[in-house]
Amino acid sequence: MISRNMPMCQAVLEHYRLLPLLPRFNIRLGFGEKCVEEVCRLNHVTTEFFMEISNAYLDDDYIPQTDLSLFPLGDLVGYLTSTHHYYLEVAIPKIERKIHQLLDGSALSEKERGLVSGFFDDYRKEFLEHVSREDKLVLPYILELEKEYMKEKPDAEFMKRLQVYTIRDFAREHDRLETSLENLSRLIIKYLPPFEDFDLCHQVLTDLSDLVRDLIDHAHMEDKVLVPRVAEIEQHLLRKSEAG
Amino acid sequence: MKRVNFILCIEAYLLCKGVAAVLQRIPGASVVREFGTVDMLTHYLKNHAVDFLLICDTLFEKATDLFIEDPGLLERTILLKINPVRPEGAGKFKEIIYLTDGKQEITFKIKELLNPYFRNHREEPQSTLTEREKTIVRLVSMGLTNKQIADKLFLSTHTIITHRKNIIHKLGIKSVSGLTVYAIVNNIITIDEVT
Repeated sequence: MISRNMPMCQAVLEHYRLLPLLPRFNIRLGFGEKCVEEVCRLNHVTTEFFMEISNAYLDDDYIPQTDLSLFPLGDLVGYLTSTHHYYLEVAIPKIERKIHQLLDGSALSEKERGLVSGFFDDYRKEFLEHVSREDKLVLPYILELEKEYMKEKPDAEFMKRLQVYTIRDFAREHDRLETSLENLSRLIIKYLPPFEDFDLCHQVLTDLSDLVRDLIDHAHMEDKVLVPRVAEIEQHLLRKSEAG
Repeated sequence: MKRVNFILCIEAYLLCKGVAAVLQRIPGASVVREFGTVDMLTHYLKNHAVDFLLICDTLFEKATDLFIEDPGLLERTILLKINPVRPEGAGKFKEIIYLTDGKQEITFKIKELLNPYFRNHREEPQSTLTEREKTIVRLVSMGLTNKQIADKLFLSTHTIITHRKNIIHKLGIKSVSGLTVYAIVNNIITIDEVT
């Protein structure tokens, strides 16, 4: 668990899994003696929000501490957007580059090579599809929801839609993006002929397992923080419209 | 696989380690924390959700506040009975484990607790394929089209499409290349047979 008064340096040293989160908040290293709260303030990040996300990410059994209404949904959407950006622009291209490098220098048959590169190519496409669906549909929905919530009288069209489709439906449709990656690792470790460049192969496997871990943590965070928070607002709105 | 979380609150260190070791051997069960005092337990429960609490009878007596504060907790509590003489108020706990219980009794009791978590679990669609589905995955990996598969198995294309939808639902894998890799790592096909 991290707390607001603990030095940011200590938080990161104790929980290396926080590292990939920092760029998503636009937080850079070189913390000096500054505590979590100060670092957040200097980077224009809501402290409660940073702590909720970090703790949900670090602890599988975590339940939200603070009143979730403390931070605006815009923060959440901003965070999700930059996370998606990280997957698509950094994590996946990095693995793809290394896989191609690994295949180029290997003694694999044409068929085996096609199997791996074809697999990863399709995976990237599926991932892109999933993420763009969230970016185009789910995130704008969340922002619209907040806007309607602030209004004196919510839009009737919006309320009609809310009665048939809520964030819980979205959560149910959530694909499992990590299983395929685990299959790829298994393929390399167990079924393919060994690669000459073991160090590069090691890097590929480590990157794959890091990404799997990150995706699981991310999905967990969505389930524990995003979905409950959005569902809460939906309920408020629905009750308000019933009363009105 | 989904894990059902247990936390232990047992004073005797050897006993605590022993219970943890036994639980960890049961598929689906996971011991997330072990405590030797009620104070630590109270603090932990403030911030965490757990599926089950396993507490020994001596510490249970000291933890009454905890159960007053959260009346639902008793429903999720398993009592480890160390003192056979003391009355335990049977029925109020989810389960009672006795020091004299054999391996089979303990395993049975724990598995009974886990069952509801693995039945009709929506988030965890069944991932094992039927024999027919495996055959289809195999043929897809060999590069056959739905039409070719249908002809080979004397089924309609429509049936094959339904099977493929079910496969996607079970595995969460859509692409042919993804299914091929799945088929290889699950020994449904060898790399040599793949086209």
